[in-house]
Amino acid sequence: MSGTGPVPGDGRTDEGPASGDTPPASPGTALASPSPDAPAPHADAPAPGPAPAPGSAPAPAPGSGSAPDPAQAGTSVSPTARGIWRGWRAALVVAAIVVAAALVGALLTGGDQGRSLDPADSTLTGSRALAELLRDAGVRVERVTDPAAAGALASDDSLLLVTGSVPLDSEELRQLEQLPGDRLLVGFDASWAWGDLAPGVRVEEQARPRSREPDCPLPAAAKAGSAYIGGSSFAAPAGAARCYLADDAPTLVSYRQGGRTITVTGSGEFMTNMRLAEDGNAALAMNLAGARPTLIWLVAPDVPEESPATAGPQGRSLEELIPAGVTWALVQLAVAVVVVALWRGRRLGPVVAERLPVVVRAAETVEGRGRLYRARRARGQAAAALRAAVLNRLIPRLGLPVDAGRDAVISAVAARTGQDAHGVAALLYGPPPADDPGLVALAAYLDTLERQVKDS
Amino acid sequence: MALTGRAGLLAALGAVVVLVAPRPDLAFGGVCLLLVALVLADLALAGGVRPLRLRRSGDVAVRLGQSARVELIVENPGPRRVRGVLRDAWPPSAGASPRHLALDVPAGERRRLVTTLTPTRRGDREAVTVTVRALGPFGLAARQGTHAVPWSVRVLPPFLSRKHLPSRLARLRELEGRHPALVRGQGTEFDSLREYVVGDDVRSIDWRATARRRDVVVRTWRPERDRRVLIVLDTGRTSAGRVGAAPIPQAGQAAGTPADPATGGTPPGWPRLDWSMDAALLLGALAARAGDRVDFLAYDREVRAWVSGAGRTELLSVLVNVMAPIEAELIEADSAGMVAAVLARAKRRCLVVVLTDLNSASLEEGLLPLLPQLSSRHLVLLAAVSDPQVAAMARGRGTPERVYDAAAAERLAADRRAITARLRRNGVEVVDALPDDIAPALADAYLALKAAGRL
Repeated sequence: MSGTGPVPGDGRTDEGPASGDTPPASPGTALASPSPDAPAPHADAPAPGPAPAPGSAPAPAPGSGSAPDPAQAGTSVSPTARGIWRGWRAALVVAAIVVAAALVGALLTGGDQGRSLDPADSTLTGSRALAELLRDAGVRVERVTDPAAAGALASDDSLLLVTGSVPLDSEELRQLEQLPGDRLLVGFDASWAWGDLAPGVRVEEQARPRSREPDCPLPAAAKAGSAYIGGSSFAAPAGAARCYLADDAPTLVSYRQGGRTITVTGSGEFMTNMRLAEDGNAALAMNLAGARPTLIWLVAPDVPEESPATAGPQGRSLEELIPAGVTWALVQLAVAVVVVALWRGRRLGPVVAERLPVVVRAAETVEGRGRLYRARRARGQAAAALRAAVLNRLIPRLGLPVDAGRDAVISAVAARTGQDAHGVAALLYGPPPADDPGLVALAAYLDTLERQVKDS
Repeated sequence: MALTGRAGLLAALGAVVVLVAPRPDLAFGGVCLLLVALVLADLALAGGVRPLRLRRSGDVAVRLGQSARVELIVENPGPRRVRGVLRDAWPPSAGASPRHLALDVPAGERRRLVTTLTPTRRGDREAVTVTVRALGPFGLAARQGTHAVPWSVRVLPPFLSRKHLPSRLARLRELEGRHPALVRGQGTEFDSLREYVVGDDVRSIDWRATARRRDVVVRTWRPERDRRVLIVLDTGRTSAGRVGAAPIPQAGQAAGTPADPATGGTPPGWPRLDWSMDAALLLGALAARAGDRVDFLAYDREVRAWVSGAGRTELLSVLVNVMAPIEAELIEADSAGMVAAVLARAKRRCLVVVLTDLNSASLEEGLLPLLPQLSSRHLVLLAAVSDPQVAAMARGRGTPERVYDAAAAERLAADRRAITARLRRNGVEVVDALPDDIAPALADAYLALKAAGRL
């Protein structure tokens, strides 16, 4: 019977747990007997296939050519392309909106990462607006990116503007210090090397940039009025104009030294495109930067210079020495790694989880109690348990009644084994052992006594 | 879709080509284009997975420890050959093998694939899904799809104790007086009168009947028949404790593997529940053969299973089918509910066999106060599986640790003795035996009750 596939829903007649002559009935009939409150014992057990007419032919042979059961079609549970599209289109729409918003924002602002205080930069942190204003006012604004170029333009009638974003090494600082003309140092703080560009000015402490009142006689500041300034506050040399005080220390210092005017500000926000229209920022910036007909505006180099360390002896870098084929082969290898990852990462079907019954050994409670005895050194309890067990086995063997008294037991054991009654009494009813070796010995003695009673 | 190792190898070989090519950038582009083209061609030319028709047939029930065959018929209605691998996913404890099946179905044909299940525990094992990966002609990429083809295989309790059945049936025949040695049948129920033959016990001569006839007539006796036996299986938390050694290797434990050290040197055996089921099956088979009616109730806080009125011949199959999906619940059994369920179901006097644990704490709080209700109307037999490991621990000597463990084990044994004595005083029969002995011990207790005419 096992040769033909049993019809689903019908019981097997040759696979019963019965012992030979109790042929198990089909589950269908078995189901009829339990009362309805039984938890559906096996109604669903032999329910194979998604309701495929249970009476259909048993497992058709391959190629038998019978018409396919329409109910069997469509067992596939893989998502269709349409299903994937439906499932992901909401996420895709959200992603598209995010990308579009980011693009629009970037296009409107012209890029978030501007070059700070650059006269050619039109982002919020740039200073192109100020440069344009100065040019309209007839000031010649020269944007230079290295001190040598600044030196070529400098004269007694020029103003050198250096911002805190320009990286200068000591050699370049020395070049700048020797240039003639006034100086305007913007964003002067302790984190930057300023050399001796502003002798006598010392950074006192941090000051939060905000709108401040000038409170000083410097005409450029007094005419401009309040301005958005802060950054650092300074200790100024004697005779300097101390403006825009933060905690009694100026954030703008202007003084004359060696025939030139040196002006130092703690921050350059008031010169940026974003802040220029607020307060008297524009006026202050114009007054400070437009003080001379020529403004030499030193900014950070446009492109970071290639570090000379990677250049080879012939001036060729390591990258240039590698043949192009190697680079492309590495890219191809990366493609291969991706392909292998896709190969290994694709599982053949789902991971199958299963709810398993709990595994708890029944002896665990006894082990726990044993450990508790050990932890508390409960020799009294342990000895009592061992003695009670031995007595429980000895008393029937001695032919005594279950409720035999202790004297009767002692005398019977002593008579049976020929031992001293006092020793037997101490062993069976004595005080608990004083230490762990005593307990071990007691257990051994009890075993010996039991064996003697058994053998006698 | 899925890629194959061959695609990865091709991509890696492409790196060599790119390395030696005179125009590496062009070569890279060419290799990538070739790879993509071949993969796309493979995907386009692979046999369709979605239209495949799958059907199952085969075994729907198997005894634990044996193997079942489940056949999967894959029909390919599409226009192209489907060649690749198929995974018939089953839960781990179904023990399905092989994990992957090679598949090659030409267009319009069907193939039969066989998965062999060797389950490692009782219960219903449901097939999960069938996943087919159909390779393209170049073997670089494959279409992959999953089909749900439900099938369920019920793993029945193994009924290992059936080896004890013949000897108990022989004892039963002895009781019924059908023994060849013409021993006077024991029992209390009058069976029939028959003519005296030499060797019959003269005490059984029925003189009244003898007087009516000219022959000497003896009475024959037989044990009572058509008594009721109600087997109550406690499926509460105490039944979840594992005792003994599993006779059939469990999941994740190969046959003969001694143990993993984390569990203290002994592998967890079977739950008490499974040993109890084994004993219940032997008792059921024996009682049904003895002409008694057997009912079965599994209870913890609600009725888990209830079998009543099953015919003699179908009783065992009904019992194993009902027992198969029962697992011990990790909740305290509701003894009051159990007693109420028994009283509601057993109208006439019957032998109530409660298969539980002799746990003094839970019995004292649960069953013991309620026993008078039960034992006033029924004969109660309580059968419990004791733990051989506790017995082994009780023999531990030599080090303080082992002696403390031995004391704890002796303490538990004393508790069990005390509760046994209390139960016996309440008129309850108690069978307390090791896992391997519980089934024959329970059968013997039943036979003894039957011989004594106490049913």
